[in-house]
Amino acid sequence: MGREVAESCVDGVVMEMVAAYCGRFYASKPELAARRIEAIGFQVGHQLTERYTMERPRFSDHLEAIKFICKDFWSELFKKQIDNLKTNHRGTFVLQDNHFRWLTRVSIDPSVESIDANENDSTSLGDSAAQTTSMLLYFPCGIIRGALTNLGIACSVTADMSNLPACSFVVRIKT
Amino acid sequence: MEDYPEELRTPPLTLVSIVGCSELHPSISAALSSQQPPMNTLALPDFSKASILARSAKTRDPLAPPQAPAGILKKDWLLKHRTRVPAAVAAMFRADQVSGDPAQWLQACSDLENLKSVIQGRNTKLVVILVQAQAGDELSEDVTVALRKRAEIDSKHLVVLVERDESEWTKSLNKLKSIFTELCSTYYKDEGRRIKARIEKRNFSSVELSIRYCFKVAVYAEFRRDWPEALKFYEEGIRVLREMIGTSTRLPPTQRLVEVKAIAEQIHFKISTLLLHAGKVVEAITWFRKHIRSYERVVGSPEVAFLHWEWFSRQFLVFGELIETTSTTVPDTLSPRFGTADNALTEWEFQPAYYYQLAANYLREKRYALEFSSSSVNITDGVNGIPESVMPSVYVGQYVRLFEQGDTVAVLPLSDTEYTSYALSEAERFQDSYEIIALFRKAYESFQSLGAMRMASACSGGMAIEYYAAGDFSNAKQLFDGVAGLYRQEGWATLLWENLGYLRECARKLNSLKDFISYSLEMAALPLFSGSGQGNSENKSKNGPAGSPTISSRENIHQEVVNILEGKHAPEITDDGFNLHLVEESTHLDIDQISPLRIVLVACVAFHDQSVKPSSPMLVSVSLQSHLPSPVTIDKLEVQFNQSDCNFVIVSSQEDYSTSNVHDGAVQVTSLTLFTDKWMRLTHEVKPGQSGKLECLAVKATISKHLVVCCQAESPASMEDFPLWKFEDQLETLPTKDTVLAFSGQKLIQVEEPDAQVDVVLNCTGPALVGELFTLPVAIFSKGHAVHSGELKINLVDAKGGGLLMSPREAEESESHHVELLGVSALTTEKGSKEEVDNIKKIQQSFGVVSVPTLCAGDSWSCKLEIKWHQAKSVMLYVSLGYSLESIEEAALHRLNVHRSLQIEGKIPMTVGHQFLRPFRREPLLLSKIRSSSGDDKKSSLALNDSNMLIVSARNCTEVPLRLHKMAIEPDVDGKQLCSVQQISGISNEYAVLAPSEEYKGIFSVNPQIISSNFRLGEICLSWSRDSSLGQSQDNCVIMKERLPEVHIEESPLVVTMECPPYVILGIPFTFHVKIYNSTSLLQEIKYSLVDSQNFVFSGAHNHAAFILPKTEHIVSHKLVPLGSGSQQLPRITVTSVRYSAALTPPSSAATVFVYPSEPKFSSEKGYSAPDACIS
Amino acid sequence: MVVCVAVVGHQNNPLYLQSFTEADDALKLHHVVHCSLDVIDERVNNPKRNSPALNETFLGLLYPTENYKVYGYLTNTKAKFIMVTTDLDVKDADARNFFRKFHAAYVDAVSNPFHVPGKKIASRSFSARVSTIVRSFSSGTTA
Repeated sequence: MGREVAESCVDGVVMEMVAAYCGRFYASKPELAARRIEAIGFQVGHQLTERYTMERPRFSDHLEAIKFICKDFWSELFKKQIDNLKTNHRGTFVLQDNHFRWLTRVSIDPSVESIDANENDSTSLGDSAAQTTSMLLYFPCGIIRGALTNLGIACSVTADMSNLPACSFVVRIKT
Repeated sequence: MEDYPEELRTPPLTLVSIVGCSELHPSISAALSSQQPPMNTLALPDFSKASILARSAKTRDPLAPPQAPAGILKKDWLLKHRTRVPAAVAAMFRADQVSGDPAQWLQACSDLENLKSVIQGRNTKLVVILVQAQAGDELSEDVTVALRKRAEIDSKHLVVLVERDESEWTKSLNKLKSIFTELCSTYYKDEGRRIKARIEKRNFSSVELSIRYCFKVAVYAEFRRDWPEALKFYEEGIRVLREMIGTSTRLPPTQRLVEVKAIAEQIHFKISTLLLHAGKVVEAITWFRKHIRSYERVVGSPEVAFLHWEWFSRQFLVFGELIETTSTTVPDTLSPRFGTADNALTEWEFQPAYYYQLAANYLREKRYALEFSSSSVNITDGVNGIPESVMPSVYVGQYVRLFEQGDTVAVLPLSDTEYTSYALSEAERFQDSYEIIALFRKAYESFQSLGAMRMASACSGGMAIEYYAAGDFSNAKQLFDGVAGLYRQEGWATLLWENLGYLRECARKLNSLKDFISYSLEMAALPLFSGSGQGNSENKSKNGPAGSPTISSRENIHQEVVNILEGKHAPEITDDGFNLHLVEESTHLDIDQISPLRIVLVACVAFHDQSVKPSSPMLVSVSLQSHLPSPVTIDKLEVQFNQSDCNFVIVSSQEDYSTSNVHDGAVQVTSLTLFTDKWMRLTHEVKPGQSGKLECLAVKATISKHLVVCCQAESPASMEDFPLWKFEDQLETLPTKDTVLAFSGQKLIQVEEPDAQVDVVLNCTGPALVGELFTLPVAIFSKGHAVHSGELKINLVDAKGGGLLMSPREAEESESHHVELLGVSALTTEKGSKEEVDNIKKIQQSFGVVSVPTLCAGDSWSCKLEIKWHQAKSVMLYVSLGYSLESIEEAALHRLNVHRSLQIEGKIPMTVGHQFLRPFRREPLLLSKIRSSSGDDKKSSLALNDSNMLIVSARNCTEVPLRLHKMAIEPDVDGKQLCSVQQISGISNEYAVLAPSEEYKGIFSVNPQIISSNFRLGEICLSWSRDSSLGQSQDNCVIMKERLPEVHIEESPLVVTMECPPYVILGIPFTFHVKIYNSTSLLQEIKYSLVDSQNFVFSGAHNHAAFILPKTEHIVSHKLVPLGSGSQQLPRITVTSVRYSAALTPPSSAATVFVYPSEPKFSSEKGYSAPDACIS
Repeated sequence: MVVCVAVVGHQNNPLYLQSFTEADDALKLHHVVHCSLDVIDERVNNPKRNSPALNETFLGLLYPTENYKVYGYLTNTKAKFIMVTTDLDVKDADARNFFRKFHAAYVDAVSNPFHVPGKKIASRSFSARVSTIVRSFSSGTTA
């Protein structure tokens, strides 16, 4: 019970943060809001890695660090591991979570969409729903980037959600 | 290591001695020393010299109680055993010496006796060598036996050398060698065993002896190359030695320590050498560590601490040199934890540089200790003076005083005070600094090559401190500067503080005010660890001249600079003071983005706008920040731009500047004070005069009257973090209040061009028509600007994109463009006449440049562009006028531009069509038309010798009326004779006006006279012009040509002609003839059929067949009664030629007749319309 | 006795440096800590010799100098901890234990949301905790 409450709190905080930045602080500049949210995630990831890597030997290469993110780090954050890790062996990694915890409560109501389809702005509404969801993903992207940066891997992280609640994060390591 | 005596540095070699027969000595000793291991030979030419080998007579009463030894080791003991105490002695006799003359024999015997007595008391082995001239010379047995008995030696210890025979000589020499080797080994073993027995029985009275015995045993072991035993006893010796420090009372404490350390040094050196030569690097290092650890705390009394440090430093130096000479590498195969787990060896300990660095450190320690000692000792017992004639004693590490009284020379021991002052005076004679520098340099170079930058820097810093101490300030400054760079880069503020402290003093000593100020300011602005301890000033030597890094010292340094600048010299500064005249002038400091002084002052400049028009006001923010600990008052602030007109000056009104100093444009501000870590934000208005780039270059701040700090301006958007301060855990403030400006503000702005006050007008009269010379007037009206060196650029571009106005394929094939700029003609206003512009610079098909004459304000100029369209295309016309306001050169660089563009459609003026018609109700049978199956025949077929009709139509497809001047068919040159073309109807007046979408038709009759399958009729030639009242002249006429398609001309075998009245009346019968003419010379059979028509009743056969004779006509007649009025279709006739199996049906238009309901009454002129009806 | 502990950031800049000596050798300790960074670089860049303890955070004895011994520790996040002691016989296990506790204190300090990553650690409670750890190390080894 206590756990569930805590989890709901985190969900609530994440959503409220996104809402606050997108809706109030930087309502007119969504890309600035995205940057701010990502920066918050960055610091969170940065500081969490300090703690989660405390009792382990140093990583010898990038893959080891990414594996750490996929397994231990993800387990600490979401009580599950990343479901699928792909790489092109040239610095790009795709981390796929088939059931991303922060998206499980998000849905795009199809009935609302169909009603609006009669009016002309159905596409714009669908877009805005997708945009809101993608805003939710700047925070975890920032967390991953912060964690990897703190492990000495400069990278950029983008998220891709094609079908909820699955979600994949693309890590591109800067050389 | 070089200071050590030879005997200590090299492993001992066994020593043998040969006596007599001196002529053979060189070859024997050479042979012995070439042995492995080599053997040293002490060659005595004759027996009288043998007394050297004798023991020095000791007048020691064997019964007296054993005296305590006066020292641990005698200095010469080692040398003695290596050079004067042979392990074996060989007495050499010539064979003839002992076998012949009895006197000689006796002499030999006494020599032998002498030798025996000399070596008596030692274990020295005796060998007798008999030298024979030749192998064959027989020696009597009794001689050898007698000799052996005399010498009391074994038979095998008597060697016979054969002098003359090479092989025998070598053989006997080898025998000698092996005997010597054996004897030596026995000798050293015996000696060793003898002394070892004493140790084991603890048969000695004092510790000193114990150590001495250990040393001796070890040396004897070394003689016979028994390294493990040597090592064992050296180690034992050093162990006992270490224990002795606390217990021995033989010497006063200071000298005791000195002696112990001297011995320890020797033994340790031996051990290290042994270990390193055996390749046991790890053991050697471990041993060294142990050695160091056991002595590092044994400093002794403070007055002689310098002796300890000197000794200690030497240990490191020597060990470093040993490591270097054995050229060890870090053993890769070993685990990282060399040695034991808890006592791991580290990488650096395998590097000589590590030891050199520490040697240098300790030598510096010695310098400090020496400074301390000499200052304290000189004061306390200066009276005592330095004792004279002190010299090293016979014992290692001891000093005595030589006391001479008359002839007697006595050796007196020294008291500790005497020794101390002696040592002090000796030590003061040396300048340690240069040695320290040399050591540091060695270490520095070595670390540098190892890539250990920080170690190298530390060494470099050490060198610099020594240079500083030695008074070589310029060298010191250079080195300190190098080191400071690393500390700045890595943000080690405390280390930088120390460094800058030295640099500041160097600058002071070198009398460089500018450097002094910049170092001082940098120091004052350093971020310091709040945790670093409070400084106690006594320890200045260790903290450098700057003392400890604290806020208050930062403030003091800052204040000192201010005082110097303001001429208020603090008392302690005037001592070494700067020349005052330096202060009279102002000092300039430049701070750019990489300067370490950025922490002293940084200037951030941001324009409030992105772009601006010239001479319109604009705000610029100047923000300054300083990390200096105390507030900084700025007297004057100059902001400089690349456009110097914009420069402005802000003056603090607190300072009473003489009015001459103040610029006209200076702004007075009540206070210009920079508080620590706070931005001072000023906003000023500037008016850029010119267009182009406006960049703030620098901000010059005058502080305390004489210091001018010139800061390179920085943009807030691209401002970097402060070096050093960026790691401080403090809130970072923004240079401007406006956050947007703080993140995106720029020190650079683009000043736009002034609005051009010149208008360019393009007058377009609708779309252009293909083929005509389209003129487009361009007018330039100067409304406020004079136009100088104006230039008009004209560019034609395809409106649909694609740039050039021709397709690439066409570009290859022909030069023609679809649209061409043909020329520009100017209308000069004065003459009003049109003349070709002679200053056209360049005309290409789609591009042209025309220069525009100088125009005064209010003038205008115009020209006409002549453009010709070859194809219907939409074109963008770009016209840009570039001009400058002034005619002078420099202003000419700055040009204004006016751009205009216009889209012009190119249209085809007329569409031309044509149509061939047969003669009315006359239908030739054209076989080609029938044979060719439908569709692909596009060619018209014409009957030979028949007048065919050609109708040419021209439709105006523009939106303006056009005049058609001429419509003609120009036959081809060869076709003229073969086909007559006559114009039946044409343009009656000078021209025909065609309204938009109106069509004009011309009728021609074509009468071909040759059979041809593809005959060219020629071209339709139209001449047209716009229907405007202006263009009267014929020049404007545009000729437009269109080729007629090829036609097929053939002879028709049958011609069907229908004859009926022009009109008929309802109900009144009329006759309808169909005439079929056979134009061939053959009999033709035809079939003929007539289809019923509901509008007519007729009499006659429906079907009919006939034969037609050549060149005759067959006529079929029918009587018809029309039943309906109006235009009615006659019954349909089909004539079929059996020979050609071709059917011929007249077209329905030809088989129509108009039926009047009753007899019409109309004038004859109207009948003209009948052909027209046929056409439509 | 531990005479000095330091945290060095990944640009080799000092983030925290505290000396625990009465004697005024703070500056010297700065030098010692700074020079030890070379050894860490060497150990990390040429790890072939470190084969048994590959990538272990505890780097062991970095180098002995004068009367100090310098121990190092490198976290996964490239923060370097350096401890300088005057004890002659230090058990590796003790040093390891010391660093483990120190690391925990460090993590707590930098996880403070008000701490900006990459800046110096100015937390007072961190200092207090470090002092405790240092004291317990000194008493632990001497006892």
